[in-house]
Amino acid sequence: MDILHNLAFGFEHALTLHNLMFCAIGCTVGTLVGLLPGLGPLATISLLLPLTYAIPTEGALIMLAGIYYGAQYGDSVSAITMRIPHASSIVACIDGYQMTLKGKTGLALFTAGVSSFIGGTVAIVVLAWLAPVLGEVALLFGPTDYCALMLVGFVCVSFVTTGSLLNGMAMCLIGVLLGQIGTDINSGMQRFTMNLSFLVDGVGLVSVALGCFGIAEITKNLDSHEERSPFNGKIHLMPTWPEFKRIIPSALRGSVIGSFLGILPGGGPVIAQFAAYAIDKKVSKYKDEIGSGAIEGVAGQAAADEAAARTSFIPLMSIGIPENAVMALMMAAFIVKGIQPGPNMIASHPELFWGLVASMWVGNCFLLILNVPLVRFWLSVFKIPYSVLFPSILFFCCIGTFSVNNNLDDIFITVAFGGIGYVFMRLELDAAPLMLGFILGPMLEEYFRRALLLSRGDFTSFFTHPISGSLLGLIGIFVTWQVTAFFLQARRTAAERRQPA
Amino acid sequence: MNDENLVRGLVLIAISLAFGLTALRYPIGEFSRAGAGLFPLMVSSLLLLIGLVTVVRSRFVERVPLNFSMTNIAIILVSLCGFTMISEHVNMIAGIVFMVFFAGMAGKSSYSIVRNVKISAGLIAVAFAFQKLLSLNLPLY
Repeated sequence: MDILHNLAFGFEHALTLHNLMFCAIGCTVGTLVGLLPGLGPLATISLLLPLTYAIPTEGALIMLAGIYYGAQYGDSVSAITMRIPHASSIVACIDGYQMTLKGKTGLALFTAGVSSFIGGTVAIVVLAWLAPVLGEVALLFGPTDYCALMLVGFVCVSFVTTGSLLNGMAMCLIGVLLGQIGTDINSGMQRFTMNLSFLVDGVGLVSVALGCFGIAEITKNLDSHEERSPFNGKIHLMPTWPEFKRIIPSALRGSVIGSFLGILPGGGPVIAQFAAYAIDKKVSKYKDEIGSGAIEGVAGQAAADEAAARTSFIPLMSIGIPENAVMALMMAAFIVKGIQPGPNMIASHPELFWGLVASMWVGNCFLLILNVPLVRFWLSVFKIPYSVLFPSILFFCCIGTFSVNNNLDDIFITVAFGGIGYVFMRLELDAAPLMLGFILGPMLEEYFRRALLLSRGDFTSFFTHPISGSLLGLIGIFVTWQVTAFFLQARRTAAERRQPA
Repeated sequence: MNDENLVRGLVLIAISLAFGLTALRYPIGEFSRAGAGLFPLMVSSLLLLIGLVTVVRSRFVERVPLNFSMTNIAIILVSLCGFTMISEHVNMIAGIVFMVFFAGMAGKSSYSIVRNVKISAGLIAVAFAFQKLLSLNLPLY
């Protein structure tokens, strides 16, 4: 009953005219960036972060959250109609695009929209129930546990986003090192500033994010020689009753899987989609059709995608540890607004937490309207040529950077990170773990130093505390598995080479 | 040297040394009372280890040729620097026009002055909207 009472309290805040407007803006911008190439939710949130200074806290966070989960909806549209997943809807390309080839684009879009709605709704219930519970558990965490939790996040994000633990961890560590630039809060000493006064306060988050994601991504798109032709086919949206009945079980399965995987460190939409798709392939009544354009191949993954995007807010809001790069940016948005996400947030800012949760359901309704009946209008966005789009994105990058401090020199830092981000991209080093490391780096150092201070320099305290010990044990098992797998693979390759042709 | 894996390892080593050697100049302290240099030194040591492993690993995996094209990134970065300098010394409207016309040279689509004029006009209108509606302090004129 408490949850219902709290949700009603949340709706009181979410349904104010201002918050409804910010929610609608967030969902619309999110859908747009999900559709457009070269501007994912990460770059958009970092771009709009400085512009939210003038917006009330609740409205700003509702809008930024809307961009994140709205982008998941928009992304599936481009994946289904043109086989181009921009943000994360990789799995939607398989059956969704097959349905387009069969002339069932409307059915695929309807399935994705409705399943995302179901996934979002289930995830909101999980979020409303689990976040306060987890917040109470988080009060048991000490500095060693926080350190271990952040390391688990680094390992999981590294492996999930890049597929290579080595590359991902390297980027996390580079992010942590970049986060060290500036003044050491314990001693007041300037570190890595090269005597440059603009580095005394550290490198700006917006500069790093826009450089590594905005500018580098634009250049990557300009380098690629892909020709994108807009979708011009007919769309018949309404399914028949038997078709509609096939959506529900698969969407519910996907919702549960997505809600669970979204909470885990490093989890999120991509893993959830693959897991839901794999499970549908095993248990669905129509499993033989999956892969060749089945409704279940779209419904399960779309629901999981949306559910995971929503529940990934749980670790951020209840423990204060973001589990992926977008959540790290959301954390920055909370901090910019003077709110520290963590176990005390729900108690100290109930209107913000419950308002945000309720707004997600409102946003879900907005997105259902935007992405099902209005989907035809969105498809015209694909007709904008990239040669028109990219100067506009560059302009927004400049304005976004400038508006943080009203300082044009900050754009030079963004330019530098654009160049660095491009080099990383060409070396197959993903910038997402860097972002996580950059935001969590200062916090990791603080907890690390506090843990050592409390244990009088004794490192064994990290292993003797039950929570941190278990988490570090998990990291140990994972790293051992990775190393063993590499050596086994190397031996197998060497044996194959030795065999005579 | 045209091996992506090897270059990646070398870049990681270079970054770790840049941070690690600088961290040595700060007080390290002891574990129970860490100095400003201890944590960055530990992190850069770990990064150095990953860099070394990447270099060694590159000997055992298949070579991947480096795919670097400097033209587009150079055009984009110069257009942004030009935007900043012109905005600082002239005004932001001139900066926007320069950025759109210079950045237009990137990519493979044909260069169109008319298209660039239209984009510049649109972006200047957006900049005015930001200035008036969001109260952003843009030096437009």
